[in-house]
Amino acid sequence: MSTSLRQCERIARDEGLAAGLAMAIAGAEVATTAPGRWAAVPAESVRAGAEVRHDSLAAREGVTFLACQGRPPAAPASLAEIGRLLAAVRLGLVRRLLDHAVEHLSERVAGDEPLIRKQLITGTVADTMAEVELLREQAHAPHDPAALSDLHLRLDELGWQVLTLFGAAGYLADHPARALHVSFLVANTWIDREGVPE
Amino acid sequence: MIEFDDRLRAIRDRHREAAEDLRSRALAIDADPEAMEPHLDSPAYLMIRESSMPAAHRTSATAAASPDRGSCLENIVGLVELFRGDVGALLACPSPALAGVFVELLGDAAQKERFYRRISDGRTWSFFAMTEAGRGNDATAMETRLERDGSGGWLLHGAKRYIGHGARGGVGVVFGRTGRSALSIRAALVELPVPGWHAERLDMVGLRGAFLSELRFDGLPVAGDMLLGEHLPVTRRGIWGALTTFNNMRMQIAAAAVGTALAMAEYVAEHRKGAPGAEPVAARAEAARHLVYEAAARLDRSPERGYLSSAAKLGATRMAVETAHWAAAALGPAGLLEHPLLEKWTRDVRAFEFMDGTGNIQRLHVARGYRSGDADA
Repeated sequence: MSTSLRQCERIARDEGLAAGLAMAIAGAEVATTAPGRWAAVPAESVRAGAEVRHDSLAAREGVTFLACQGRPPAAPASLAEIGRLLAAVRLGLVRRLLDHAVEHLSERVAGDEPLIRKQLITGTVADTMAEVELLREQAHAPHDPAALSDLHLRLDELGWQVLTLFGAAGYLADHPARALHVSFLVANTWIDREGVPE
Repeated sequence: MIEFDDRLRAIRDRHREAAEDLRSRALAIDADPEAMEPHLDSPAYLMIRESSMPAAHRTSATAAASPDRGSCLENIVGLVELFRGDVGALLACPSPALAGVFVELLGDAAQKERFYRRISDGRTWSFFAMTEAGRGNDATAMETRLERDGSGGWLLHGAKRYIGHGARGGVGVVFGRTGRSALSIRAALVELPVPGWHAERLDMVGLRGAFLSELRFDGLPVAGDMLLGEHLPVTRRGIWGALTTFNNMRMQIAAAAVGTALAMAEYVAEHRKGAPGAEPVAARAEAARHLVYEAAARLDRSPERGYLSSAAKLGATRMAVETAHWAAAALGPAGLLEHPLLEKWTRDVRAFEFMDGTGNIQRLHVARGYRSGDADA
């Protein structure tokens, strides 16, 4: 698999979750590679007649869940690679939504100033980017299952941190921040964290 | 730590039974929050209805194990158990809810009678319409206005957002301002149908039972005797009541976070025995439960000191989201698709952050309380 982490992050940032996911799993035989009974895939990649599970939020992101064998006898190396590429996709989404949040917070005023100037908000923006820089390096690390699991748990937390910047608006099903909710679900189908200590 | 006496134990146990009924309805309500008829006469809803109404509006003698409506601790002990059943199913239940707390505080006898009479059928939802788009919970920045109609009444103009049950409510409270000062913020009792009322349900990521809605008022008429607090001193008419209600509400959100976290921890323990991390996760949820009890007891002693309730809401919300992330991982790959109840809870817990003051608002309250000595009170 020659797709680079950088490409995955870039396409997710520019085009969103489904495009990033398509790149992360390109070339993989999904049904025999995915670690669970269902695997997130771009909806447009699903062949007619294939068994899928529909999720209303994921569908709006162009993502659906394909039935898989689950528990391949030996996790292929390509699964670990997908895990790393998916981490890059999630980093790209964090950047995409952070850009959006900063724009939103620059327009929204509390008291006499835009929210983006409030120190607690500035702190969250800074913490988010510091974590992005750190996790990007972690995604380059060797294919250790525990490290990969930890990486995605941190991405769960990071996605949540960005979601808080939108307030209640980020909880609307038709808000762009929906991608962060769905990316949590997507990662849940591709990352095998069972048995990895907390 | 709060020591439970026989009464608190009885309240907890009675609500624990109702929680199972709520949970059995959770996924159906999440899938279609408009289809409530099959649930309205459920055992859990009957119990909630009975214990949330004033004695004069109850349809049967209330069991001894109903919380005293004036005791935050007793209510929170019961609520944690119900939320442990399912937060969405509980919030979907027609009840006085927040509007009831406010009408109790600021309503005169006729207003209380009108409010409770309307919701006593168990099929009428109430609403508490304060939040506005782009303003969050900053009540003082409110733009909805009450204008005099020239004949002793008022006309309501403006819009509200994220209002629970707004688009299916029958009676509730709407805030607006009669002038520019903070004291000019007033609340009106609004009963539907009424001209000038436009409502639409918002499609949310989770917590769909709460039926969060968007409201718009276009010259909605409010009779002069439907403003709440008219019989009270000017300083106690509007925003004071809202702030006191928010202290109460904040505890309820903290209880929702604790109840949902306990539910997730227990769910994983049941379905994935020996899941790594289960013990510390359960211990954190239990600690948050005790913090919420302690904060509720402190609110009973000093209703206007919100330091610990803010700390509890902040900590419990964060804990619940972390628990959701852990639980999703613990059930193995695609566990969220194989366990829809858990998947629902992972969405639901993300609502608590923005309900009754975001984490940042709570942080400001906690820091202010700490500086004024409330942490050592």
